[in-house]
Amino acid sequence: MLQYTFRRTLAVLPTIICLIVICFFLMRLAPGGPFTSERPLPPAIMANVLERYGLDQPLHVQLWTYLKNIFFHFDFGPSFSQRDRDVNDIIAAGFPVTLTYGFWSAVFVLALGIPLGIIAALRQNSLWDYIMTGFAIFSQIFPNFVLAPLMVLTFTLAWGLLPGGGWNGGQWEYVIMPAVALGTSYLANVARITRSSLLEVLGAPYIRTARAKGLAERTILWRHALKPTLLPVISYMSPVFVYMITGSVFIDVFFSTGGIGQSFIDAAYTRDYSVILGLAILYSVLTFVLNLGVDLAYAAIDPKVRSGLK
Amino acid sequence: MTLLSVENLSIRFGTPDGDVHAVNDVSFDIAAGETVALVGESGSGKSQIALSILGLLAPNARTSGRIMYGGRDLLSLKRRELNKVRAKEIAMIFQDPMSSLNPYMTIERQLNESLELHEGLRGAAARKRVLEVLDAVQIPDARNRLRAYPHEFSGGMRQRIVIAMALLCNPKLILADEPTTALDVTVQAQIMRLLDDIRRDMGTAILLITHDLGVVAGSCENTLVLYSGKVMEHAPTRALFAEPQHPYTRGLLRAVPNIHDEAGALHAIPGQPPNTMRALTGCPFAPRCVDAIAACHQIVPPLEGDALRQRACIRPVEELT
Repeated sequence: MLQYTFRRTLAVLPTIICLIVICFFLMRLAPGGPFTSERPLPPAIMANVLERYGLDQPLHVQLWTYLKNIFFHFDFGPSFSQRDRDVNDIIAAGFPVTLTYGFWSAVFVLALGIPLGIIAALRQNSLWDYIMTGFAIFSQIFPNFVLAPLMVLTFTLAWGLLPGGGWNGGQWEYVIMPAVALGTSYLANVARITRSSLLEVLGAPYIRTARAKGLAERTILWRHALKPTLLPVISYMSPVFVYMITGSVFIDVFFSTGGIGQSFIDAAYTRDYSVILGLAILYSVLTFVLNLGVDLAYAAIDPKVRSGLK
Repeated sequence: MTLLSVENLSIRFGTPDGDVHAVNDVSFDIAAGETVALVGESGSGKSQIALSILGLLAPNARTSGRIMYGGRDLLSLKRRELNKVRAKEIAMIFQDPMSSLNPYMTIERQLNESLELHEGLRGAAARKRVLEVLDAVQIPDARNRLRAYPHEFSGGMRQRIVIAMALLCNPKLILADEPTTALDVTVQAQIMRLLDDIRRDMGTAILLITHDLGVVAGSCENTLVLYSGKVMEHAPTRALFAEPQHPYTRGLLRAVPNIHDEAGALHAIPGQPPNTMRALTGCPFAPRCVDAIAACHQIVPPLEGDALRQRACIRPVEELT
């Protein structure tokens, strides 16, 4: 297992380098640049600025310098639009915020979604099942950009229970609404997937074998059915996790949390090359780490996958 | 001594299109230590009879009749009571060893959980018993394979594990639902010999469910021939093979390929099994029967005969072709 993790980690390095190169050129292909504005700068000043950020160099030299700084100094360069801040600072400021509410959002989704799905499956076609299905439909027609304003209207403006935005160092009152608004539609999906997965597992011949042993239904659920039920949930959650902890642009903007999604939007508008690249790298590394995590979770559950890893 | 007595068992499955009449008024006894064969083609209801004994029918099943065991009707037992009978008194060997073991649990855990439940055995004591049983079903190097998962065993080995699972608590009756269908012929013979040894050594009664007459001939004292959920003929196996008294049994036996026959077309019973969506209004076999007369289509033939053998056919034996 360790060896497998190591091999996967090595294999991801070339992928990330390719990604950097592609993003690097894609950004330059887009019209405009970090210092383009409605009123063009006088040529002398422009030349000065470009020189300051190394943009006067040929592209391949710029790329080489960039890569060198990343791999030898772990320096993702200065921001082009925010003076005196570099990419490392921006990530260090915004990422903990998104990581915090993203994490709690994931906890909310799993801790509620899986039990809901299990109950719905065990009480198939009962009131619980219908409530769950209704909830799933509800969360599909109320995506987070509808749900978030509704929540603010209710909990902030009408009842005054929770602050309508801001972060305040991540106190729980400030985390709840972003986390719930971000997670609700995934919660419904997790519940739905858990429900159908459990129903399928409970119909499997090996569950009948377990019943033939005289085991109580509760034991069968926990000991025999839960693991296989969770496999599709894990697959589903893998990309969702990345999306959650890198933050939703909408959530960051709407709740003014100061998370990384906000930085991404700003950087894209101002053609802040280094910030865009830095965030793209962050996303891809996270994607890799979480995919690896999911594969390892799969291996932990499914012995067939485990023996495939050896 | 009668161990299990199935009395007028009928099983129906409710579906959106109406009821499926899977088993119709089946009765038979199994004596302690006896092997009874339940023979029939796919869909004849034989597996459903076995499942109903342990209360493992699908949720849409409705049963009538009684299944008496130890003075109690298994069909009316609560789940809690039934759980004490399952595996401990009556164990089941399932058809498909590929899917009837849990792929996510080690062999040892799947085996020792019934010991834990019924015998209160844990740890070393449980392991000792597990190894005993694995040795009995001839799993080589069992001690080192306890922590293996089902996919690490071949089909034949998995079937042995499923059999071992049934033996763990020394049940009085084993329901073997096509224990050899998924296996190749040489392994089939080994498994059948194994079941036979178990019965001889431990005095366990066996209800063998199969569509393979060859398997029956070698190993069972009594045979029930089932067609469309109804018993067609019930007789000591030897007598049944020597002089079948029901047109369906005769057709079945004719269809068994004979090594001495000249090469040529195999015998087959013409027609298709009947639609089980309708309740029986006559003999279910009549549409395919060479000896059927008009009355066969109108009268459901009762199962009649002496204590030793019975048949459900309104035509006298002498008049059959």
